[in-house]
Amino acid sequence: MSKIIAVHSYKGGTGKTLLSVNLAATLAKNGKKVCIFDLDFRAPSLFAILKTENVEFWVNDYLNNTCDINKVLVDLSSRIPGNGKFFVSFANPATEAIRDMSSKDRKWEMRALGRLLALKESLLRDQKFDYLFFDTSPGLQYSSINAIVAADFVIVATTADRSDVDGTKRMLQELYNLFEKKTGLVLNKVLDSSATAKKSEMSAKVKTVYQVPMLGIVPCFCEILRAEGNLIFVQDKPDHPFTKIIAEMARKIDNNEVN
Amino acid sequence: MIKDEILTKRPISILEKIEENLEKLNEKMEVMIEIQKNGNGNQRSAPTLPDAPLDVMTLLSMPDHLRKTAMAICRCGRATAEEIAEQTRRARAVESAYLNQLVFMGYLKKERKGRKAYFYVDRETQG
Repeated sequence: MSKIIAVHSYKGGTGKTLLSVNLAATLAKNGKKVCIFDLDFRAPSLFAILKTENVEFWVNDYLNNTCDINKVLVDLSSRIPGNGKFFVSFANPATEAIRDMSSKDRKWEMRALGRLLALKESLLRDQKFDYLFFDTSPGLQYSSINAIVAADFVIVATTADRSDVDGTKRMLQELYNLFEKKTGLVLNKVLDSSATAKKSEMSAKVKTVYQVPMLGIVPCFCEILRAEGNLIFVQDKPDHPFTKIIAEMARKIDNNEVN
Repeated sequence: MIKDEILTKRPISILEKIEENLEKLNEKMEVMIEIQKNGNGNQRSAPTLPDAPLDVMTLLSMPDHLRKTAMAICRCGRATAEEIAEQTRRARAVESAYLNQLVFMGYLKKERKGRKAYFYVDRETQG
């Protein structure tokens, strides 16, 4: 079943973009029609990461109701092996655009939520997309909460950092619970010693601490840092353990196995 | 005449008629409740509070029972109390009361078409 997946976290630098890009790319590699939306308007990053030229329209324009959704979709399917479709909708990285997006009022945010919800009809139903990924800003931002409300499933990226654990717990209880969102947790940057502990034990621990199911554990890989932001591992390093972990997460999502 | 009906029609159709009449009664009662709430017999469904945006922060600050209804109408855009009740799995009459409350608070608009009342989020014309 097609769905919108929001990738969110309490703190920054937890790996939201890394997860979104690689999960989307993996599903595309498996033959799915996927689009990833950069909804981090405060610090857009997909544009720099995917090194795309000649972007004419941004997600900002779609949310501002100044252009149609199809103008915003950039087809990058040629970068992914296989027959799937990989589209990207970029957030405008210009300083003026960032300033503009941070000064929107509540009515604009309400309409933006309507535009995000409308993607279920325009892209999922009419254009037969299988998955839309929303890469969001960390914390309790208007744009991120809009993304969460519009999504069918939310992936929460978190690390073992104490402030992250406490904040994520609070966010899950006081935000996600209220919206009754189906959620999967990804524990990122896990150190070697804990990563080798039994997966089922970790999974049980996560469920006790956060009260939500675990989608996956990602160990701390130096190669990810060494890649300096060249993030599509699925394409560049098909045999890397990280690629395999992402493939397992994608399989769980595709088979609706996150419980 | 009623006796004739009982003899000639199958009980199911009589039950359907009863249900239909009950629904009509329900509609009338809703209108009466609204009039009582607004305290004005001439303006049936005029909200006494000004239009307010139904944004995510507003959703967050709502009591749980109203948020559930508001979330469902956000997803649908436009729906009857019955359609919302299907999503929330609560009784139609309950949803009808909550939807009318949201109209009264200025978050939703209500439109009658024949016997049906449609509720919707007015995203485009506000502001």
